[in-house]
Amino acid sequence: MNISLKNVSYNYEKNNFNPTIKNLNIDISNKGFTALIGSNGSGKTTIGKLMAGILKPTKGNIFYNAENIRNMSLGSIGKNVGYIFQDPERQIFAPTVKEELTFVLKIKGFSEEEIENKAEKMLLKFRLSHLKDNFPFNLSRGEKQRLALAAVLINSPKFLILDEPTTALDIRCKEELKDILKNLLNQNIGMLVISHDYKFIDNFADRVIEISGGEIKNDHFKK
Amino acid sequence: MTILKNNSNQLDPRSKIILVMCISTLAVFFQNIFWMIPLFIFTLLVSIFFKSNFFNLIWKFKKFIGIFVAMIFIQSIFVSGGEEILKIGNFTLISTLGIYNGVSIILRFLIIIVSASVMATSSSRDIVQGLYQWKIPYEITFMVAVAVRFLPMLKEEASDMFISLQLRGVELEKLSLRKKLNIYSYLLMPMIASVIGKAGELSLAVEMRGLRADYKRTSFKTLKLRFNDYIIMLLSVSFTFLILFFYFF
Repeated sequence: MNISLKNVSYNYEKNNFNPTIKNLNIDISNKGFTALIGSNGSGKTTIGKLMAGILKPTKGNIFYNAENIRNMSLGSIGKNVGYIFQDPERQIFAPTVKEELTFVLKIKGFSEEEIENKAEKMLLKFRLSHLKDNFPFNLSRGEKQRLALAAVLINSPKFLILDEPTTALDIRCKEELKDILKNLLNQNIGMLVISHDYKFIDNFADRVIEISGGEIKNDHFKK
Repeated sequence: MTILKNNSNQLDPRSKIILVMCISTLAVFFQNIFWMIPLFIFTLLVSIFFKSNFFNLIWKFKKFIGIFVAMIFIQSIFVSGGEEILKIGNFTLISTLGIYNGVSIILRFLIIIVSASVMATSSSRDIVQGLYQWKIPYEITFMVAVAVRFLPMLKEEASDMFISLQLRGVELEKLSLRKKLNIYSYLLMPMIASVIGKAGELSLAVEMRGLRADYKRTSFKTLKLRFNDYIIMLLSVSFTFLILFFYFF
């Protein structure tokens, strides 16, 4: 799946003549690690939200392969793209860690056996097994981050957008996150990571896009 | 008091509170639509005088149009009386009384919304200061200010949660009502957890900054009622009593 932004502009205020995102053209393939960097207020998170269909462009269009996402519901976008908010608490809903992973699958109509298998795999993969009956809001920041990722990935998205995933994580948690992302890359799940953490990005990124004032300042492939 | 260029806004927030309370009281007491219409026109004029952004506020309630229309049907179905306009068998779907009651509910709602928009022409800090000078305990006025400050943030959080729930691949439009309600129930938990968390953090923060440490608070900015304020308050209260007297007797 390719994500293409064609002449995309976005304004938070209707009558503002200085849009947050200005006539942006980006093509991102579903393979590899693309980093989106830039200073505060440069428009990084806005681009991420536009790509995930959370915001609709005021001008231009965004395509998943050839399909314009204007015509897609958030639910159908979510089947292709997973979005991790900067604050993982905004995407935690259930009273236990395990239920957090399973409740969407139940609603989608998966069988009990399938749900149990998928949940156990995710709990193991994200080192959350020992916390499966815990109240998610009492977890540490790093654990919440892992839970948010696991809950998104259990739906098998083809592409991930992570907004500042290393914010407030200590070195150990960052290492854990690195391992998880490496595994996902090996499984051919592409990702766009919005970050300020240049050291974190340097280790991974196949491509770095630098944004300034809502425009691309620099776009280069590292390998 | 904040000095604003707009003369009408230089009224003390306390006189605006009295005015809004009087208008809202009349809107609640009036059952007769022919009393409500002039009150609605008066409320619009007051809002225009205060240059409040009432149109935007009304526009935000456009999603409730369906409920307003439903109100007419509900009133027609459950309140007997009036002439039948639309009937299916023995079942009255729309009646003149239903329309009358439905419109009066809508009007009452609009009067309260438009009059409340007048309060938005004063800053929340001034309103809190006004209430404090009315000897309302600072702990209560502070809570009002905090609620005003946090509402937009909570709204944004709720919206993000709803979006992230859908981005898990949940196509709400394809779900049955039972499943939809089940999904919505999952939104409550993080919202309550977030509010409790924020309340805890905020209470710690204000304690650390010395809230309630002093026997008596002093204020850098104090409000002073002027002649115009007294006139507005006196006219609002006396006219309200007079109108209610004529309405009921």
